[in-house]
Amino acid sequence: MVARNISDEQRYFFHGDLDAFFASVEQLDNPQLRGKPVVVGGSPDKRGVVAAASYEARKLGARSAMPMRSAMKLSNKIIRVESRFERYRELSTQIMDCFRLISNDVEPLSLDEAYVDVSNKSLWTQKTKAASDLKRKVLGVTGLNITIGGGSNKSVAKIASQVAKPNGILLVPVGDEIKFMGPLTIDLISGVGPVTQSILSDKGIHTIAQLASANRDWLFSKFGKRGIQLQKIALGVDDRRIETSRDRKSISAETTMDSDTDDPEELMNILGGLVSDVVGKLNAKDLFTKTIKIKFRLADFSTFTRQISFDQPTNEVSIIYEQARSLFTKQIEEAGSLRMIGFGVSNFVSQTDLDSSEFQNPIQLKLNLNV
Amino acid sequence: MKLSVSQDKLARSLAVVGRAVATRSTLPITTHVLLRASDSFLELSATNLEISISCKIDAEVQTQGSIAVPARLLTEFVTSLQPDLLSMELSNATKQLEVSSGRVTAKLTGQSADDFPVTPDLDDGISLQIPTEKLRLCIERVSFAAATDDARPVLTGIHTAISNTQMTMAAADGFRLAVQKIDLSEAVDQNVDLIIPARSLREVERLLAEQEDPVSILISSAKNQILFRLKETVIISQLLQGTFPNYNQLIPESHQTKATIEVSDFLRATRTAAVFARDGNGIVRLYVNPGEGEQAGTMRLAARSDEVGENEADIDAIVEGEQSQIAFNSRYLVDVLNSLDGKVTLETSSPSSPGTIKPVENGNEDYLHVVMPMFVQW
Repeated sequence: MVARNISDEQRYFFHGDLDAFFASVEQLDNPQLRGKPVVVGGSPDKRGVVAAASYEARKLGARSAMPMRSAMKLSNKIIRVESRFERYRELSTQIMDCFRLISNDVEPLSLDEAYVDVSNKSLWTQKTKAASDLKRKVLGVTGLNITIGGGSNKSVAKIASQVAKPNGILLVPVGDEIKFMGPLTIDLISGVGPVTQSILSDKGIHTIAQLASANRDWLFSKFGKRGIQLQKIALGVDDRRIETSRDRKSISAETTMDSDTDDPEELMNILGGLVSDVVGKLNAKDLFTKTIKIKFRLADFSTFTRQISFDQPTNEVSIIYEQARSLFTKQIEEAGSLRMIGFGVSNFVSQTDLDSSEFQNPIQLKLNLNV
Repeated sequence: MKLSVSQDKLARSLAVVGRAVATRSTLPITTHVLLRASDSFLELSATNLEISISCKIDAEVQTQGSIAVPARLLTEFVTSLQPDLLSMELSNATKQLEVSSGRVTAKLTGQSADDFPVTPDLDDGISLQIPTEKLRLCIERVSFAAATDDARPVLTGIHTAISNTQMTMAAADGFRLAVQKIDLSEAVDQNVDLIIPARSLREVERLLAEQEDPVSILISSAKNQILFRLKETVIISQLLQGTFPNYNQLIPESHQTKATIEVSDFLRATRTAAVFARDGNGIVRLYVNPGEGEQAGTMRLAARSDEVGENEADIDAIVEGEQSQIAFNSRYLVDVLNSLDGKVTLETSSPSSPGTIKPVENGNEDYLHVVMPMFVQW
């Protein structure tokens, strides 16, 4: 018998997702909000968006990412609450700790969402027990409901959790992926937004089964590689593994301004905040970055990104800020008013790598003569 | 062609024009020097097609004429002779130039002067005069910052802009930028924007030592050549075509720390540190410390090399702003400090932002040098 390495083993993933997380936290902390349509997010006067809507608010039509102004118009019963990220983070940490009780391979996607690789639970009964244990644990520790989807790959697990929401568990048995996903609508696939969905709908592709059997060339012509990728997911194929925070590829943050601005001072302040936020996270992970990226969106919603790489990895906020600032200054001079700016770092190097090798070499910095 | 000329003058002139003789060339005659005798002087010319240098010396000309002879051969022969009167006679039939001094005679096989590349005519164009001392200052403070490799040809040149009575020369090699401004005594009626090969300007600089009168400059109307007329010598250089970087954008607008230091202290400490930096990529680390209370500020220069050892030197500095640290390649510091005297200021913002060095003298803004630091583990 041939020895099997880990990649040959049958994988199994959970996707855990808190139900209406921010809104649920608000209802948890403030009993008066329980059972009421609550939306969390910024003021409608300041172009706030809905960060989360309670299930009661969703029944009235509120959705996350909806402009707050539109959400508040849905019904005068809707209650808006300012978001309290510190509190959400605190609970998030506790939730992620619960995940880590069942497996070390946890990939947080956001504060309230994570993938867990539970391939170590080889028997079906072990999987179902792990899921219900996890659910009970999260409720016990935080008082919040979590939905757990399970599948032989990340996509199936995530679709399962969306189907099982709210407060459910749905584990798709290995081999049943196509049977399970086939009848579902394509918008459940992560990455299929309204635009992709409408293009596919025009072609008569509404379900995942239809996507699975769609003409590959046509998909490629419309969406490029992404089209092929989507079809693979529809066919139950998704080779992505868990990326723990150690091998995270990038860290970023962005801010949409209260109102469009071209005031350099204000923009630099915002950029400074983003940089210190991102570099803080970088430092927390003991990582050094070699590439920084800025992103900005103009008043007309056109979005640009620019990045530069360093010869030498760094985690120094002053160096990173300096580089981000010069990159940004160069780009925005002619851009006019901005609506959103973002900043991110990627191309990480760990302290161990840094101690070891070529990174010890000093680098002569260059003047940017491409001016 | 028949003439007599002093060995001393001829040897010196050959040394001057010899700078323009091509060393390796696809056009063999450019390894020759052109001799042309007329009226009461002998004119020597050499060109490598980028730069041409010609020189006139007094001579007793009996018969006019011209010939191109191998430059190195003639130079080595002439310099080996006693300081005496030399006589030269060309045999038009054999193209052999007979040079004799006392009892020494040599025959050099030459080539027809008609085959020698024509020195371009620069009759019209923009003309101006620059006081010798100012031109020398410009070239000395700027030319070392020009690139020496041809990766981006415009960077091997010195950007020269003239507007009204101000001339600005700038050079940048990707790691540093040097900019010098000078005032001209007379306004130039047309704005000028050229890139002069740094190599040509270094040749001009070399000849300025013996020059007292202002240097006359003529820029061809096609803006492809520039002529420098000195006392006995004329240098014509091709101009580099292309766009020079808009270097004003590279000059830092602000700084966190400003240290004022004696150039002699700074240069000596840098050279000392360079000894220890030799095996460590030439890195000199600068730690600028504002003084506390009555105590004066200091700048510490440190260098180390794992195998060799380390060195530290403190020099006095008047420090405004925050404590700072930055590392530079010692060679770049030596280059710029060598061209300055008196006091300089070093302005820095962060260990990875450019440093700016300016002389402290009347009209502080006339010169500035921007140098990129080394990124090191502190």
